[in-house]
Amino acid sequence: MKKILVVVLAVILLTAVFTGCASKTYEIAMITDAGEIDDKSFNQGTWEGIVEYAKANDISYKYYKPTEVSTDAYVAAIDLAVTGGAKIVVTPGYLFEPAIFVAQDKYPDVSFILLDGTPHNEDYSEYRIEKNVYSIFYAEQQSGFLAGYAAVKEGYTKLGFMGGMAVPAVIRFGYGFLQGAEYAANEMGVSSVEVKYHYTGDFAATPKNQTTAATWFADGTQVIFAAGGKVGNSVMAAAEAADAKVIGVDVDQSPESKTVITSAKKELAVSVQAGLKSYYDGAFKGGVSETLDITIGAVGLPSDFSRFTTFTQADYDAIYAKLVADTDGIRSGIVKDTDADGNSVDVTALPLSIVKVTVVE
Amino acid sequence: MNTLYFLVQQTMFFSIPLLIVALGGMFSERSGVVNIALEGIMLIGAFASIFTINALQDYMSGQGLLLIAILVSMAAGMIFSLLHAYASINMKADQVISGTALNMFAPAFAIFVARTIQGSKDINFLNTFRIESVPLLGDIPVVGPLLFQNCYITTYIGLIILVISTIVLYRTKFGLRLRACGEHPQAADSVGINVYKMRYAGVLISGAFAGLGGLIFVVPTSTAFSADVSGYGFLALAVLIFGQWKPQRILWAAFFFGFMKTVSAAYSGIPGLKELDISSDIYKMIPYIATLVVLAVSSRNSQAPKAEGIPYDPGER
Repeated sequence: MKKILVVVLAVILLTAVFTGCASKTYEIAMITDAGEIDDKSFNQGTWEGIVEYAKANDISYKYYKPTEVSTDAYVAAIDLAVTGGAKIVVTPGYLFEPAIFVAQDKYPDVSFILLDGTPHNEDYSEYRIEKNVYSIFYAEQQSGFLAGYAAVKEGYTKLGFMGGMAVPAVIRFGYGFLQGAEYAANEMGVSSVEVKYHYTGDFAATPKNQTTAATWFADGTQVIFAAGGKVGNSVMAAAEAADAKVIGVDVDQSPESKTVITSAKKELAVSVQAGLKSYYDGAFKGGVSETLDITIGAVGLPSDFSRFTTFTQADYDAIYAKLVADTDGIRSGIVKDTDADGNSVDVTALPLSIVKVTVVE
Repeated sequence: MNTLYFLVQQTMFFSIPLLIVALGGMFSERSGVVNIALEGIMLIGAFASIFTINALQDYMSGQGLLLIAILVSMAAGMIFSLLHAYASINMKADQVISGTALNMFAPAFAIFVARTIQGSKDINFLNTFRIESVPLLGDIPVVGPLLFQNCYITTYIGLIILVISTIVLYRTKFGLRLRACGEHPQAADSVGINVYKMRYAGVLISGAFAGLGGLIFVVPTSTAFSADVSGYGFLALAVLIFGQWKPQRILWAAFFFGFMKTVSAAYSGIPGLKELDISSDIYKMIPYIATLVVLAVSSRNSQAPKAEGIPYDPGER
């Protein structure tokens, strides 16, 4: 009796699974990067853009979570998405670069939007972008620049930078932050600005990260720019205890804690929607790799400046306009994670004279 | 001096959860049940209690709310540990497998429930529990800043649990019986002790303490809970072994681990240490190297309960 019951149940379950699969397809697919879909940061920002666009245009959409962080798992997730009927696949994160390199040949009829990266093979020996791939980079250094500028303009002279893992986007945020602080110090005639600079090596809220931040605050640091997902929550916890300030990242993080004075944003949702729109308008920028920057409003600070006391909207608008216009080469002069030849730049090689950087391993 | 105070205060955030969870593990293991599910139980305890805080924080705040959260975390931990108890005591399952199953189940469950209820796996909470300075006690020179400033009542609860645990384990009939069940359950049974009951008690206590440890772990160090306790359940197991299953040694082990963890994260802001320029990796290694050394030296006469990990079989002699 028991055995029969088991068999019957198994059959019912299988039928349900198969009919479930066959009945529906999803046109827009997103594959999540390391972390969850609701990480309040990269994945979520991308996803919200997709959902908004798909709902407005009545297109089916779905996200797929790879089983692990590896190129094979990412390609497998793309396989799954294409099998599920995906016509356009959005992949956020530079970790997808080798996976898209494989997928662009495997699925020539499917289009891909790759954020924060451009397709290349595993050992970086070959870079190639096909007609079905649109690769987007962000000028994080400009967003970081604005955050550093605002912090020093506000009157802070002891700053901290806690990045997550030292991936290109995080490094660009950090370098921009340092140079923005330098620019403001120069403008105001401040004699010295000290910055502690650290990559935590994770994107998690841990006692370790909280302690690091708490120690810096106890040592006199006034504000920490937390560019590493959940690392920010630990920094906020430390800031609440020490009555200090935090600068958030990626999206406006001010609702998470009253200590967040501003956030270095990049407009993921907007650019993803632009990419999707171009695809459905038949004007997909396949084979193009472009960097979205401040000139089209892709990076910046949130419009609420109420948590500052001396830095104002007018100050922000002024520096923003300068960056957009590239006055005196201010925008093009910001050093990124790599130089013009693609070699990585060390933090000690940045053009800083007033800002003293202490790198914490 | 201020630096020292600060270091001690920070060390508490690491050490107290480790202490409580390791004490929980001690009760389970001394009753004869290996509990590597501590990580998963911590997570469930933290999840249930942070969720409670999130739901109630619009109506109340401060120590009252924290006390409610503490009770919820202990209850949740106990209920969750029942699964482990049933599998390993009644069903005589392999205790390591059962514990692993709980560890894998816990984060998935927490994320699923949080998403279903509120649409996001992150549960935000307002930390209204920090005590700037305990009245009167906080003004005592030296001791005040060390123990009674910038603290949480959970610190004292942890220390009280330590004292009670020591007394219960060594000075009560219950403690004696519990230890007997972990050393030689057949002998205990022969004098009329119900081994199943004692082992259930051991696992349930470990569930309550581990759940509480999860809450204490999350509150001072973040503003949101995202189904993660960063492997501190496993670290507590190391503390338990380093402490040789004895409450006082566990206390020292917890503080040693906590202090080294604090130094590795904080050295960049401590005068004297930041000039030394020793890589933080060295500090991070020290507790584990010490564990290995202690294990290597003491494994000959290791104090591990003799019947630990072996399902009770009344027929065996």
